[in-house]
This record gives sequence, structure tokens and C-alpha cells, in this order.
Amino acid sequence: MQRHGKEDTLRRILRFLSSMQLGIILLLLFAAISVFASLQEQKRAMDNIYRSFWFVGIMAFAALNLLLCSLRRVKPLARLALRPQKVQTIEAIKKMPFYRAVKLPPADLGDGGIAGAAAALQTLGYQVSVIEGPAGKNIFGEKGRSGYFGSLLTHFGLLVILLGAMVGSLTGFEHAGGGIAGDSFQVPEGNFTVRIDSVCMVQEPDPTVRPRVYSDLVITRDGWQIAAGTVAINEPLRFQGNTIYHKTFRYVSEIVIKNPATGEEIRKQVSEQDLLYVDGAGSYIHFLKFFPNFTMTEQGMPYSKNWLPENPVLAGILYNSAGQGERPVFLQLNKPEVISTAAGEIELTLTSFQHAAVFSVTRNLGRPLLLTGAAVLVLGLYLCFAVSPCRIYAARAKDKDVIHLGGSSYRGRLVLEDDLARIAAIITKQEVGA
Amino acid sequence: MAGMIEVSPTGLFLENLLFTLAVAGYLAATAGYLIFLFGKKSLGPSASRLLHLDFSLHSAFLVTRTVNVRRVPFVGHFEFGNMFIWACVFVYLWTERRQKDKYYAVGAFVTSLVVLYIVYLTLVPKIFTRVTISRAHTLLPPVLQSNWLKVHVSASVLGYAGFTLAFAVALMWLLKARLREKSAFARALPAFAVLEEYMYRASVFGFLFQTVMIITGAIWADTSWGRFWGWDPKEMWSLITWFVFAVYLHARFTRGWSGFRTVALVVAGWFAMLFTWVGVAWLLSGIHSFG
Ligand code: HEM
Repeated sequence: MQRHGKEDTLRRILRFLSSMQLGIILLLLFAAISVFASLQEQKRAMDNIYRSFWFVGIMAFAALNLLLCSLRRVKPLARLALRPQKVQTIEAIKKMPFYRAVKLPPADLGDGGIAGAAAALQTLGYQVSVIEGPAGKNIFGEKGRSGYFGSLLTHFGLLVILLGAMVGSLTGFEHAGGGIAGDSFQVPEGNFTVRIDSVCMVQEPDPTVRPRVYSDLVITRDGWQIAAGTVAINEPLRFQGNTIYHKTFRYVSEIVIKNPATGEEIRKQVSEQDLLYVDGAGSYIHFLKFFPNFTMTEQGMPYSKNWLPENPVLAGILYNSAGQGERPVFLQLNKPEVISTAAGEIELTLTSFQHAAVFSVTRNLGRPLLLTGAAVLVLGLYLCFAVSPCRIYAARAKDKDVIHLGGSSYRGRLVLEDDLARIAAIITKQEVGA
Repeated sequence: MAGMIEVSPTGLFLENLLFTLAVAGYLAATAGYLIFLFGKKSLGPSASRLLHLDFSLHSAFLVTRTVNVRRVPFVGHFEFGNMFIWACVFVYLWTERRQKDKYYAVGAFVTSLVVLYIVYLTLVPKIFTRVTISRAHTLLPPVLQSNWLKVHVSASVLGYAGFTLAFAVALMWLLKARLREKSAFARALPAFAVLEEYMYRASVFGFLFQTVMIITGAIWADTSWGRFWGWDPKEMWSLITWFVFAVYLHARFTRGWSGFRTVALVVAGWFAMLFTWVGVAWLLSGIHSFG
């Protein structure tokens, strides 16, 4: 007795876990939490919710629910779909969800009625079997069998997507790197090195539109090349589950700092937001922005007319050693600019500039699963909603001039009603169509 | 301004003219369907003819816009809104034809929603300064120059159109339920069973395209941003909309729900859809806030 009680409880728990009610509750809960999370002001607060163990837990719970529910339905669904009971008595046909009695024209008495019904079903795309039953010939017609499996495939696709997301987040990484032509950077998580062979900027037909940057990359591991290719916006490089995306580009300027008194020169590379110490006394320039085609508004605001490198200017602010801003600095290409600091006069020259590309390197081993899952999901939805499984039975009592048509459908009520009417019309040789 | 396209004066004139005509036409068609609804039964076919005519005008507007911006007009609130309205009318006219013109009453509700969307595109920005719906002719920034854009946006306007149709029918259901059978107006609306079937089919249509929209969006995000899913508000709200309609489909199909509970789910789903389009853009920020 005791044992039975336990099994019952277990079964009840399983039934609840695989139930549609739980599914609906979880979906609504998921939606409600997402609404709440998306209304957070800060992206951090939002991400914290989506990453929290309980949110992930709800998703896992939904996946379990979906898995159990699908598994439980496989057998009954397969039985329903693959093993129809092909012979039905006239009594059973009369009780079907859709039923019609069609009076045969005199010419079709004999076997003609049954043959006519079979032909009509075939015309409408049904697979027809004629079976010799105990009470004479029976007809069984079926179409849209794949439609039974639509929801199963849909759920299976979803599960594969969830699995892919899990694999992706457990085995994946995200790494940022970049540089100018000739630079290399390591990706320790992936145990490979990215060498940047060239970074090339291509202007759009309209130079006010942000240009595209194409970078030629070579990937090596232990000195061996494992991949190579060009990366640009919307054109990532993929290899071995890793992907390198172009994220953005920067200007890297070369600056010569010259001490006019001694004639001593230092070369430095800087990019936007860099600090450059210009003398031994702690004065520095905070570089703010590189303008490829520099100009000023009437109010004296600097901006770039477009992306063409026609008047390149690197702009920044000079700070003294106490961190107080002293004056703006605009360095034009090859035009020495003399500034005075606590340590005396210094001559700064922007001698050249290059493009640096910034990449995001990620690994997502779940990608094939995600894409397969998505394809299966779409196929499943198509089978669910565009294919209506229908079954039609026809039988005729001996010596009667009436043929009984009955049918059942799985989600295809309208299709079946329509088909029955058309079959009846064909049998009685009425005009069909209009 | 950056990325602007110079449009010939003729092109601009034609575009504005066609837009104005299409808007005026939609107003007229809505009036026609409403008069039909309020008892002048003979007006149904005329309202429908008028809507067909407007649909051609609106199509001509979209073609002109395409020529003027030299790309598919899929970017920004104004263009997306127009595509979406066009898709709503397209889907409705298609069902009208398939139903052999039996349910002109649905047209009165769909066109009213279309007018609501037009008001959002044209009047709302004039009232709320926070809402700026630019009609400027802009070039596509490189990140949007992708074939995924075309599939993604086409799927989303069709998805939204399906949901709009479902919501229109849900409104009819609610109105009919509220007025009861005593009123002649309620009796003029199709039977509850017909409305529920109509609502179901429109939801399924929307759901299919919403699915394609989410999937193509994720694939596109993966190729351009390096991630399938970023939990950004636009993504989350499309998912929420999708879930609400998923709950509706399950409740109807597997739990045998019908009547008010299913209608309420469709209404909730439409609001989620509207928030994805309008609310996210003005109230929440994110990568998608360009429209
Ligand atoms: C979370 C747990 C879920 C459970 C337990 C569940 C369960 C079910 C069940 C029992 C059916 C009926 C299947 C049939 O009779 O053929 C069904 C149908 C379906 N499910 Fe789910 N489901 C879940 C989530 C989802 C989700 C998230 C989606 C996609 C958004 C989805 C899409 C569908 C579709 C499209 C159908 C067919 C509905 C129709 O014919 O109207 N399911 N589901």
C-alpha cells in the first residue's frame, strides 16, 4: 500500500511537470518577468535579472516541462498518426464529427458508388485504401499526415534552440582585440593569435556615411596558420566555432614631440581618449577626437564635414601637472604646433595617421544547434498551421442506395467540411467549384 | 546632415502628394466601412472598392519612396509604419477576397486601426515633442546594408499585420458581447464562432511571421553584432508578444479555451506588439531605438 502511494505521488508529480497548465503558467511568468526587466532604467539591472539563477531556473524548468510533455506525447501521437483504424462500421461513421449521407444516382448502384467515392477522394489529394470489411467494401482516405507531427517538431526545435544556447554559454567566450596593420593580439581563451595584415577604409558613395573598414586577418596557433580572411561590418570571419567580428574602427595618429631647445625628438602613437605626457614636468594632452575632414561651426564647435581625409586634425586639451585644463590643441597634418608648458616650449607635429580596427572575438559552439533548431521550429509551425490532417471514411450498406461519408480532422475543420461537400457533389455528379 | 539623399523636387512632390492622397483615401474608406457597419448595407462593396483604390495609391507612394531613397523603404519609424499599414490592408483585403466578401464589418475595424496608426505617424509627433518621426531621406548605414534586413522587416510587417487583424476581430467580439443580441448593431456583426475562427487564423498568420522575424533578427544580429540574442528591450518585447500569442494558441488548441479568455489574450498580445513598436522606441532605449 505504502509503495503504491509513493508511485502515485511520483506519477502525479510527473504528470504535473509535463502538463500544459504548467507550460502556460511558465510562459506567462516568463513574459511577466521580461516585462518587468525590460522596464529597468539601467542595462545592468536588466542584465542582472536575465542572468539571475531564478530566471535561468524558470527557463530550465520550462525546458524540462516541454521535454517531458513532448516525450509523453510521442507514442500516442505516433499511434494516432501512423496506425489509423481503417475499417469503420456504418454506425461508427455516423457518429464521426463530420458526417454526410449521399444518395447514389441509379447508375452507380452496384459497386459504382464506392468506386466513385474512391475516385473523388483521390481527386482531392487523399491517399485511398479500399478495404473488404465484414459488411462490404469500405474506403479509407487520408491526407496531411505530416501535420500530426507539427507541434512535436515545433517543441523539439525549441528544445534544440535552448540546448544550443546552453552549449553556447557554457563553452563560449567573448574577447576584444584589435590594432593597426602589422599588429597581432592573443586570444588566450581560444589559444590562437590574430595577426592583422592590413586595415583598409573604403568610403561610401556618400562620404557623409560612415565608411567601411576591411581588415585582412591571419589566425595562427602554435605558429601554424589555422584560418585567414577579410573581416568587415556584417562580414565576420568564422573558423572552428570561433567568429571574429568587426566592431568599430579608430584613428591612430603618429605624433612627433620635439624639444626646440635640444632638438630631441620622440615619436608616439596615440588614439582618441589617450593621454600623452609632453614634458618631464607632468603636463599632458588628453586627445579627444580625430576629425578626418576638420571644420568649425559658426559657434566655434569643431566637427568633420565628412569621412574623407581631406583636412585631418587631432584635437585634445592640454592639462598642466595639477590636472587643470589649459587650452585646446588642434594638430593638423604636418603642421608643427608649438605649445608652452611649465617645462618650456614644445613642438608637436601630427606626422601620419592610420586606421585601427577593433574586433570582438567570440566562440559559440552552439551555433549549429541554434540554426538547426530554428529551421526545425519553422518547419514544425508550418506543419502545425498549413497542413490539416484529414481522414474520411466511406461505406455503403448492402442493397441500399446511400453511401455514408464520415470524417475526422486534426485542426482542419474547415478543410474537412469543404472536402466532404465536394466529394458528395462529385459522387452525385453535381457541378463542383463555384 | 550626415547620410542624406538629395531628392529631385518632382520626386519629393510626388511622394508627398501620394502620401496625402493615400491618407485621405484611408479616411474615406474607413468612413465607408463604418457607414456600412451602422446600417447602410449597400455600401459594403463600395467601401471595399475604395480601399482597393487606396491600397494602389499607398503602393504607388511606397514605390515612389523606394525610388527617392534608392533602397527598400524599410528603415526608421516613418517607413516601417507605412510598410506596416500597407501590410495590414494587404492582409485584410486578401481575407476579404477569400471570405467572398461576407465580412465587410471586419473592414470597419481594421481600417479604424489603420487610421490609428496613421494618426501615430502624422499627428502624435506634432503633439508630443519627445516623439520625432522623421520623414527624411537617409542613406543606409553599412550595418543595415544586409539582405537580412529585407527578410527581417518583411516578416515583421506581415506578423504585425496578422496581429492587427486578430485584434480588430477581438474588438468586434468584445463589442458584440457587450451589446448583447438585443441591439441591431450587435446582430450585424458576424457570429461569435465566426469571429473566433477569424481571430485564430489571423493570429496564426501573425505568429508564423513573428517567428520568422525573431529568427532572422537573431541570425542577423549574430552576423553583425556577434551575438544571437542581447536581451535588449526590442528583442524582449517581440519575445513577450510571441509568448502571449503562444499561450493563446495553446489555450485554444489544447485546453479548449474559447470566448472571453482567448479574446483577452489576443488583446494583450496586440498591446505587447504595439509596445514593441512604439513604447520601446520612446520609453526604453537600446540598440534598436533607430526604429
Ligand atoms: C513551455 C512548455 C510548453 C508545453 C508544455 C507545450 C505543450 C503543448 C501541447 C501539449 C500542445 C498540443 C500538441 C498537439 O496536440 O499536437 C502544444 C501545441 C503547440 N505548441 Fe506548445 N508547449 C510549450 C511551449 C511552446 C512554445 C514556447 C511554443 C512556441 C512559441 C509552442 C508552440 C506550439 C504550437 C505552435 C502548437 C500547436 C498549437 C495549435 O495547433 O494551435 N509551444 N504545445
